[in-house]
Amino acid sequence: MRMVLYASLLVIALVALWLLLPTQSQAATTHHVTIDAAQYEFSPGRIEVAQGDEVIITLTASDVVHGLYLDGYDIEQQVLPGVSQQIRFFADQPGKFRYRCSVSCGALHPFMIGELVVSSNAPFRQAVAAVLLAVAGSIFYLSRFRSSQNEQGSETTRA
Amino acid sequence: MMKRERLARLLVLGIFVALPLALLGYQYGLRPLTAPHRVIDIVAAAPEAGGFQPDSIQVQTGETVTLRFSAPDVTHGIAIGPGLGIDIGSVEPGQVREITLTFDHAGTFTFYCNTWCSRDHWRMRGVLSVYDTDGSLPAPSRDPVIDQLVAEGVDIDAAHSGQTNHTEAVALVPSPERGAVLLPNLTVPHEVGNSQRRRTHTLAEAAALLQAANPTASEQDVIDAAAALWLPSPAPPADTARLYQQNCAACHGETGSGQSLSTITTASEPAAFADFSYMLHMRSDVLYAKIRRGGMGTDMPNFGTLFMPDETWALVDYLWGLTLAAE
Amino acid sequence: MAADTRVDVLRRLPLLARLLKSRAFQPALMLLTLFVFTLAILTGWFGTPAGSRNFGIVFVWIVWWALLIVILVPFFGRLWCMICPIPAPGEWLQRRGIIRRAPGKLRSLHRRWDRRLKNMWLQNFGFLTIATFSAIILTRPNISAWVLFGFIVLAIVLSLIFDNRVFCRYVCPVGGFIGLYAMMAPIELRARDCAACKAHRTKDCVTGSAAGYGCPWMVYPGNLQRNTYCGLCMECLKTCPKDNITIRVRPVGADLLVMKEHRLDEAYKAFIMLACALLYSVVLLGPWGWLKDAANMESLPAWAAYAAAFWGINLLVLPGMFGGVTIIARFAAKQTAPLRQLFIDYAYALVPLGLAAWIAFSLGFVFANGSYALSVISDPFGWGWNLFGTAELSWTPILPGAVNLLQMGVLTGGLLFGINVIHRVAAHHSPGRALHATLPFAGLLTTLTLVFLWLYLG
Repeated sequence: MRMVLYASLLVIALVALWLLLPTQSQAATTHHVTIDAAQYEFSPGRIEVAQGDEVIITLTASDVVHGLYLDGYDIEQQVLPGVSQQIRFFADQPGKFRYRCSVSCGALHPFMIGELVVSSNAPFRQAVAAVLLAVAGSIFYLSRFRSSQNEQGSETTRA
Repeated sequence: MMKRERLARLLVLGIFVALPLALLGYQYGLRPLTAPHRVIDIVAAAPEAGGFQPDSIQVQTGETVTLRFSAPDVTHGIAIGPGLGIDIGSVEPGQVREITLTFDHAGTFTFYCNTWCSRDHWRMRGVLSVYDTDGSLPAPSRDPVIDQLVAEGVDIDAAHSGQTNHTEAVALVPSPERGAVLLPNLTVPHEVGNSQRRRTHTLAEAAALLQAANPTASEQDVIDAAAALWLPSPAPPADTARLYQQNCAACHGETGSGQSLSTITTASEPAAFADFSYMLHMRSDVLYAKIRRGGMGTDMPNFGTLFMPDETWALVDYLWGLTLAAE
Repeated sequence: MAADTRVDVLRRLPLLARLLKSRAFQPALMLLTLFVFTLAILTGWFGTPAGSRNFGIVFVWIVWWALLIVILVPFFGRLWCMICPIPAPGEWLQRRGIIRRAPGKLRSLHRRWDRRLKNMWLQNFGFLTIATFSAIILTRPNISAWVLFGFIVLAIVLSLIFDNRVFCRYVCPVGGFIGLYAMMAPIELRARDCAACKAHRTKDCVTGSAAGYGCPWMVYPGNLQRNTYCGLCMECLKTCPKDNITIRVRPVGADLLVMKEHRLDEAYKAFIMLACALLYSVVLLGPWGWLKDAANMESLPAWAAYAAAFWGINLLVLPGMFGGVTIIARFAAKQTAPLRQLFIDYAYALVPLGLAAWIAFSLGFVFANGSYALSVISDPFGWGWNLFGTAELSWTPILPGAVNLLQMGVLTGGLLFGINVIHRVAAHHSPGRALHATLPFAGLLTTLTLVFLWLYLG
């Protein structure tokens, strides 16, 4: 029984380590994306590109003045309805970066958010790996070192 | 202990009574009273939420006033015209933008939003009346160009699309550059060469006159030569592009494609200036009149109370630029 | 777990003890927060409707909220309740004094609070109700101000009808979750020697004395074992003639394992808070505009569906999933305690994870929008003032890169702590087979954590 548990923990740990392996990179491409900003949504709300790709965004606004601020890349661009804007950058950092409306556009303006995911999204893989390793480690610790205390489990209730 | 208690009670009184009185008293009482001249607070809201409040302001010539615009909802752009050259720029929600003005001559002006802010954006206008010291207000002057069109019996609002006689010409793509090269070798009739006359006649008619004067020239040559004549020279000033983007682009498209914002629903399709077949039979003075007077039965607003005549002509030139540079 | 690992702060810092025993200390802080609170209501009523430029919205829902959930609650438990301005006017009216100890009884109608309401259920439903309208309340200065005003009026009315802090203890929707998460805090107010309290006949901490009032939170400090219902008002510190009350630094989350105090209303508070953190992360911080439109009441049917889903997930889906896992765990570990008891006991493992989730969620918008605080402090009403020269500072997200790392760290910490709580609860119910009950819950908690991670990082 214990062996089954340890084997499962090992599998979890291996999955975590696999997540940490570097992924093979593909040749960089250029993405042309049109992002339309309207209360209170960017369409598309999620863009996925690979690390190293060039991203050319045509930004439009279809109801009121909006803006786009891209976390992590420190890009800011206002956009008026009817007059489109171009944003161009290289997705050199991996991870998920939110683009937020940067011009107050109404009540829910602070929550007008889109997501740029630069794969292979190493920070997310690392975070998942860290959680899996931590959980496996903590279960291992509990089974190995805390089980001897089990008979005195009632110590947890104090008078 | 009682001393501290009394102090605490005083502080509570201060927070509940003195704090509101001081803040509101300053803003609504003391501040306007102590200002060196009249201060007018104007809320700039989208028309659906009330538009400008107030939307009518009266001042005297020689009087100094400060206009303070604040936006409660979305970003607006504030300008005052015609002929004042005042563009305060964008007013973001929660911000206050102010301007202090002294008028030296009487007249009726319009303060308006020049940033698309809602479906009814163009209704966001207010009247600024500057009275003479004797209390009179000059009557608005008539526009001779529009008067002339009316006298001629031209229907400014006639539908233009689909009434093409020269269907063959529509297939042609005009090249003003090529036309400019051809022009010196062509016989240009007197009427076509007159730039004032070009404003009151269509490009199609000029092409027909050119063709009659130069029977050997090909249809393409004729169209190109006419296009070269119609291409505004010199090009309209840079301000005009901004004027177009602020006031026209949201409906007619940045490039004059007629493709408007997805959220705009106009009674009829916005005119496409990039469409040569539309412009081929369009007189410049009719375009001018449409801009100044608005389009009856369409959602085209009037801009005559915002722009000067020369600004309007520059816009017409800009439209021709969109048509002829589009290819 | 033994008491000797705890550090008696007041013995080490006698100056702090003197300060806390001063009758002027709490009212002084309350006056300060009351000033800010009144300003928040005034700006909400009279200032600009643009939330990001209104002091009321920015200082309540960004500055105060960040302070509360990221610092005050995790590190100091109910410290906010000590300085909260909302019950202050009512309490002062009741006491007929702000600083002084007025002689005699409290002034109110002395009505008895209904026994059936002596729990967190009102707070649970109050929080859910506010949360259902959160997209409206958080973003409209005027509505926000009316809600705050409503709170203070309700607190005054209740203090005129009932003795003591009935509002804080049983009604305040914020007080409920602060109490729940205060169990995690590394500080506690306790009796130094419970035996001395037991032997003490007059029990001044309950009845009050010339030095101070009887516990306004209606707890008996003598055998206080959890932070949940102690508002840190320090009255018992003043009234105890034996100087037997102190503040201690203690292991984080120690209160979670006080099994005999576990109750269903508190368990549900844990479910509701965790589910709300998840739903807020999806609705407010996610990229889905249609959800925001529904939450923003753009159309009534969409909002009704949203509200129904919101309540369903809070009250049925998450507790249902948790109940299912409890059944599996009970079977696997051959536990004999009633299912209801186990369901309640294990639910306390959601407290660390829930707090971590709220911190992670709050970091997600506090760093992004914190810079608004600088501009509204110079122009609280959006009237074009510039008191400190910062009114025109533009919105700039702070440290967007660090947020993800912090979120990951906090969530992992909450998860591990939760698994540890599960294991201890399991060891209590089935000493020999604690791990058997731990594993299914570890699976559930890990899955929930990964969902949060996906929302923030994936």
